[in-house]
Amino acid sequence: MIKIKIKIIGPFIYEAGFSEKELELEPPITAGQLLSLVNLQEGRPKIMTRNGKAISPKEELEDGDRIAICPIYSGG
Amino acid sequence: MNGWTGNLLRINLTTGSVKKESFTEEFARSWIGGRGFALKILWDELKPGIDALGPENKLVVALGPIAGIPAPNTGKTVVAAKSPLTGGYGDGNLGTRVTVELRKAGYDGLIIEGQALSPVYINIVNDRVEILPAGEIWGKGTYETMDWLYKKYGKAAGILTIGQGGENKVLFAVIRSMEGRAGGRPGIGAVMGSKNLKAIVVKGSNDIPMADPPGMKKLGAEDLRKVGEIDKKTGWSVQGTTGVLSWCNEVAALPVRNMRKTSHPDAWRIDGERLNNARVATYGCPNCTMRCGIAIHDHEGRESELDYENVGMLGSNLEIFDLPQLASLNYLCDDYGLDTISAGGVLGFYADAIDHGSIEGNFKFGDAERAKELLRMTAYREGVGNFLAEGSRRMAQKIGRDSMDYAIQVKGLECSAYNCKFIPGMALAFATSPIGAHHKESWVIMFEITQTSRESYGPEKAQKVVELQRIRGGIFEFIVACRFPWIELGWDLQHYVDYFNTITGMNWTLADLFKVGDRIYALMKFFWLREFPDWDRTRDYPPKVWFDPSNADKEGPIAGKVLEWDKYEKLLDSFYEIRGWDKRGIPTKKTAVALGLAKEAAEVEKRAKLE
Repeated sequence: MIKIKIKIIGPFIYEAGFSEKELELEPPITAGQLLSLVNLQEGRPKIMTRNGKAISPKEELEDGDRIAICPIYSGG
Repeated sequence: MNGWTGNLLRINLTTGSVKKESFTEEFARSWIGGRGFALKILWDELKPGIDALGPENKLVVALGPIAGIPAPNTGKTVVAAKSPLTGGYGDGNLGTRVTVELRKAGYDGLIIEGQALSPVYINIVNDRVEILPAGEIWGKGTYETMDWLYKKYGKAAGILTIGQGGENKVLFAVIRSMEGRAGGRPGIGAVMGSKNLKAIVVKGSNDIPMADPPGMKKLGAEDLRKVGEIDKKTGWSVQGTTGVLSWCNEVAALPVRNMRKTSHPDAWRIDGERLNNARVATYGCPNCTMRCGIAIHDHEGRESELDYENVGMLGSNLEIFDLPQLASLNYLCDDYGLDTISAGGVLGFYADAIDHGSIEGNFKFGDAERAKELLRMTAYREGVGNFLAEGSRRMAQKIGRDSMDYAIQVKGLECSAYNCKFIPGMALAFATSPIGAHHKESWVIMFEITQTSRESYGPEKAQKVVELQRIRGGIFEFIVACRFPWIELGWDLQHYVDYFNTITGMNWTLADLFKVGDRIYALMKFFWLREFPDWDRTRDYPPKVWFDPSNADKEGPIAGKVLEWDKYEKLLDSFYEIRGWDKRGIPTKKTAVALGLAKEAAEVEKRAKLE
């Protein structure tokens, strides 16, 4: 099992129902698969980061990763 | 002319003269409005080298052809002058009922000249213009001033006002309106104060001239409803602009400790979720569909309207992670009429300089109570406040040593709330913003981190900066509307072209509007060159500390990384190439002529060389 922290950012927290959670998951698991575990409307533009860096849905996660899911902001 | 009233109101505070002047269709088509109008007027009417706080400077208030028309987010006004902070072209943009009322009064702009002998305010009701004594409100904060004026003229009046900051000519004093709107970062409020002008009050009752009034009414009403629905669906305004704070913290872009650090474990205490939880009221500009003004009670129990820039610069940049205390600093800035971004940048620089031992002083990061006192002293130019009132660049010039390296500013204007020690494209955006460092013109951080690569200094980043400048610093600043529906909710840019065409009866495309934006950017650069004939590319450089390897993060996603000079130079060259500017960052003659600036090029050649 691997431990993954998920951080939800912005108004996504109201949809997802939480802002930060730690999950124990069975590897291998990709970022995209993790996303599907979160209650967020499909088709909403979003970005994901791993430990502060961009990540694509296909990438496999590792133990201790911190994944952030964020709407597209444009700096106001 | 449809879409424009065709009139400007010129008020001379030295002589007391008031003149209604008309402008030509050619002027309207070349410059459109807002920033375009203001820039052209200031270019034509100001002599180079004048004192920005003297009677020869002019304060221009300029609207665009879609301003004030019921349509998504059209309640914004541009205020402009030669900047006392930077010495170059300066402007700002704020939401205000003046946008609607001034258009209904029959004007597309105001030109305020000269200097009153003693404090005055201007009252405009359609054709009637009065210059009245402001003795009862001079010395008061913006909130009390607006209350006094609302009692006198009614709550529907449009009001622009300054606080003690503008009166005392703090170089980053702004113009204020409504509950928490402010604009004119580079000291446009100080220019107003230097004219002894406390406020402008406007009410109008005419129809705004339009090519297709019923068409625009239907289009505007439908679109106001549609954009409102998108906001409800996405929930953007639940956290507003402050929603981005958590992301900046996540990707190491947060301003912390005078931008020494890029994230902080306590950042969550002042994030969008906490802000929304503390919400007591919501405010917005006229015709807004997604009100971003989240107000909370500050430490003293006053309502304080916060957005990301306030939270970033007065909060995390000063390591103040107490939301009510941060809100108090924001309230004070609003009441005194000080730019919150520069206030946070100046206080951050001051704490940093003391911390470094470069100067002696009494201010530590995290000390909210002392920060409140320093803001008061700054607004009144009292004691050390007189030093802080000059802005971080002048402070660094006085301090010397290597303090200029960590004055987080470009061209004298403090950077807004993004730590770009390893975000090359955003560093370029700050460096090439035409009024000094400001994120308004171009914000490329998400693009850089997620769509290209953070490490890249490739031409795609320069291309993106120019693309956004054409829209954010171009279209939205001269058509005048708030860019939020487009930039945050994905409201297609074509809608704004449609509003423009429906109102003016013209048949323009986006490309036509982009050209106006390029013309404006080129003339803004000429304005700077005329003031500083020895201009060189170093004035388009980001803060030096962002290139200092000893300032790199010790851990996190950008550990060990900072900007690199030779790579930045190449990126800057890409930017100049796209714009058709020379290696100094000045439009070439060929570029100027292609943009219809042959006359202006000839004018600037009297003082400086053009390639």
